[in-house]
Amino acid sequence: MALNLRQKQTECIIRMLNLNQPVNPSGTANEEVYKILIYDKFCQNILSPLIHVKDLRKHGVTLYFLIDKDRKPVHDVPAVYFVQASQVNIQRIVADASRSLYDSFHLNFSSSIPRPLLEDLASGTLNSNSNSLDRISKVHDQYLEFVTLEDDLFSLAQKSCYVQLNDPSAGDREIEEIVERIVSGLFCVLATLAVVPIIRCPRGGPAEMVAMALDQRLRDHLLSKNNLFTEGGGFVSSFQRPILCLFDRNFELSVGIQHDFRYRPLVHDVLGLRLNRLNVQGEKGGMKSFELDSSDPFWVTNGSLEFPEVAVEIENQLNKYKKDVDEVNKRTGGSGGAEFDGTDLMGNTKHLMNAVNSLPELTERKQVIDKHTNIATVLLGEIKERSLDSYAKKENDMMVRGGVDRAELLAVLKGKGTKMDKLRFAIIYLISSETINQLEVESVEAALKESEVDTTAFQYVKKIKSLNVSLASANSASRSNIVDWAEKLYGQSISAVTAGVKNLLSSDQQLVMTRTVEALMEGKPNPEIDSYLLLDPRAPKSGAGTSGSHLKGPFKEAIVFMIGGGNYVEYGSLQELAKRQQPVKHVIYGTTEILTGVEFVEQLTVLGKKMGLGSVGAPSGSH
Amino acid sequence: MPVKTAQSSFRDRTQEFQSIAERLKKSVSSGPGPNGPSSSSKTEEQRSGVALQSEFNRRASKIGFGIHQTSQKLAKLAKLAKRTSVFDDPTMEIQELTAVIKQDITALNSAVVDLQFLSNSRNEGVVSSDTTSHSTTVFKEVLTMRTENLKVHENRRQLFSSTASKETVNPFVRQRPLATRSAANASAAPPPPWANGSSSSSSSKQGDGESQPLLQQNQQQQQQMVPLQDTYMQSRAEALQNVESTIHELSSIFNQLATLVSQQGEIAIRIAREFYFYVL
Repeated sequence: MALNLRQKQTECIIRMLNLNQPVNPSGTANEEVYKILIYDKFCQNILSPLIHVKDLRKHGVTLYFLIDKDRKPVHDVPAVYFVQASQVNIQRIVADASRSLYDSFHLNFSSSIPRPLLEDLASGTLNSNSNSLDRISKVHDQYLEFVTLEDDLFSLAQKSCYVQLNDPSAGDREIEEIVERIVSGLFCVLATLAVVPIIRCPRGGPAEMVAMALDQRLRDHLLSKNNLFTEGGGFVSSFQRPILCLFDRNFELSVGIQHDFRYRPLVHDVLGLRLNRLNVQGEKGGMKSFELDSSDPFWVTNGSLEFPEVAVEIENQLNKYKKDVDEVNKRTGGSGGAEFDGTDLMGNTKHLMNAVNSLPELTERKQVIDKHTNIATVLLGEIKERSLDSYAKKENDMMVRGGVDRAELLAVLKGKGTKMDKLRFAIIYLISSETINQLEVESVEAALKESEVDTTAFQYVKKIKSLNVSLASANSASRSNIVDWAEKLYGQSISAVTAGVKNLLSSDQQLVMTRTVEALMEGKPNPEIDSYLLLDPRAPKSGAGTSGSHLKGPFKEAIVFMIGGGNYVEYGSLQELAKRQQPVKHVIYGTTEILTGVEFVEQLTVLGKKMGLGSVGAPSGSH
Repeated sequence: MPVKTAQSSFRDRTQEFQSIAERLKKSVSSGPGPNGPSSSSKTEEQRSGVALQSEFNRRASKIGFGIHQTSQKLAKLAKLAKRTSVFDDPTMEIQELTAVIKQDITALNSAVVDLQFLSNSRNEGVVSSDTTSHSTTVFKEVLTMRTENLKVHENRRQLFSSTASKETVNPFVRQRPLATRSAANASAAPPPPWANGSSSSSSSKQGDGESQPLLQQNQQQQQQMVPLQDTYMQSRAEALQNVESTIHELSSIFNQLATLVSQQGEIAIRIAREFYFYVL
């Protein structure tokens, strides 16, 4: 009964494809209805990792279109719309209905359509010439506005959250809007899982804002008798509830920037895995497209291994495959001028039968091996070119030791690697060092400039760090505008960054977030997490009602959510945690968007620019 | 109960939408008066149009349903065919069912042809490219389903016929040697008492006694010659059967290969990829 988000969301989509009619156990509708599926870009992203064209056909979908494509009328079929509830989409639907494109319209909104938009839809269809109102046969809220990539990995696909949340010019209203968007995304996830979790998060910063708003949202919703959470598990869900741990990217900034040397993070960070799909240079030059998800056994078992181990594993698999093929050949290959003997003939065809039966399995294995050989080859090329192994190793050393030898530092900055690699390395240096050594920082900056790196992001992190230091040393420092917002958003969390570094010294290589999640799941008294906010949306709202022992665990299931962008490093770390536990626990990891190191540093650069830092042209006269 | 859990995460807001529309309609119809009745008559017209249009759809789904029913009958047939109990011989039932299924399939075939005809006659009018691609996919779907079912049917029949042949042939093969053997035994077994008796009776006549066993041996040899020939025939028959079954197996191998090849089709296509091509 573990929470399986991928399965749940797929079920919901299949139900939607069957016009929201109950589905029989074999997974198809009782009566075959042929229909057309219309979706927008966002919903396409939801659909494409979960359902293939073959499955669409199975559920009677004959054609599938993007909503903004020019579509021709198909008269006698119902159309299933799966779109975000937006003004543009509503207008488009009204236009389709008035042109009588399809027989009937089954509208499904990815989240919940707000009342004003529903009224727009009604008045729009009413005012159009034909009887388009009658064509709208169903309107549904699906609460599916998130992208599930693995059984336990999801993304809200909300772009640039980190920038928006940390934007120095952002007012309260903007911040509230973003928090609201995140909350509604999380609400969809919880509704799909049909669980009301216990919410924990560090105090201060966006995590607390999201936690408070989500708590309120759940409370409001639970007030209505027929809500999304009563029909499902009922008592079961309240008996064993999961814990929802909310974090903000600033809680552990380094993970977003660091290089990693494990297979899955490498494929994502270096080759740009997107929506479980990877485009790489094929062996013969052309672009090849691979799918990497839970249907690929090699990916599932070896995704968390370091790259050299993966290479060895590919070799092993290949040898095993060759052996099996030889075996089959030996058994089926005509054994020379054998006598035409009845029994022998029987035996031969038996073998042939076996061979044919094992063929699909063998070809499948071969395909997987070829795929990963291809990926690994391309990856190896990049690693050699940019000496990513040394980046990963040295960054890790820095984080563990809290510093690095200066000569080594500068050698890396002058060595191989892209500009971004160097910038990322320099930022990790900043984060890892406990105190800022002015001289050293300046020489780093000079080295970066020598390699023509845009140092805006570097300066941004430096600024934040120095702000944080000054905040920590003297809380009564002059409160300029910047300090004000910095305190509002960072008051707690950046100090957690430095705290996290110290903690890293003691534990080997485990992320701070992972360790915190472990502590939160265990629920034992722990000074690190005692100050964490605890919210139970099911509990009656009384000020001090947060001390109930059942709220502190231990928990078997957790949903961990990173606000402002996460990546496969964190995902892998949490999966390891879940597997390591006895008995095995279950952790779902989610984030506002999945970012590569480069993408995240770009967001830092944007923030730096907004603060008026960097801009290569201007001489850094401040220092 | 499972249905309930499946429904938990979505909301039907059709009612809300309709009530809004109703409210808006009232406020609108109170304004421009003459628009009301004409629009309602229009609605009726359109409705009949919709009904006509969905004729194709209705028939297609009817065929789909028919195929489903037939496949259920096939499943029943398979169950019957698999039953090998001696006491309850379902041969009659099987034959009846096979006939029924045959009828069903011919009916389905003609229905498909009808449908094709219908859509062709309708397609004479103006049909959008989307419509044609939609109906071709529907056809493809129906046809693949039908071929699959036919294949299943074929398999079942094979299963049935092979068990039948086993039932009819095996007794032939096994009982013959048994019978001949028992016959041989029967002819061989009685002699000993008789031979013994004769030998005991002729124990005094030693010379005769020696010649008599010889004669007996001869007789026995002759008797054995018959089964020997018989076993030879049997082995020939068996070899033939082996060849036959080998051919069967080979054909099934080819069938499997064919499905393997056809499976390469749509398995790996993803929407996003398709979209990629559209963009290009």
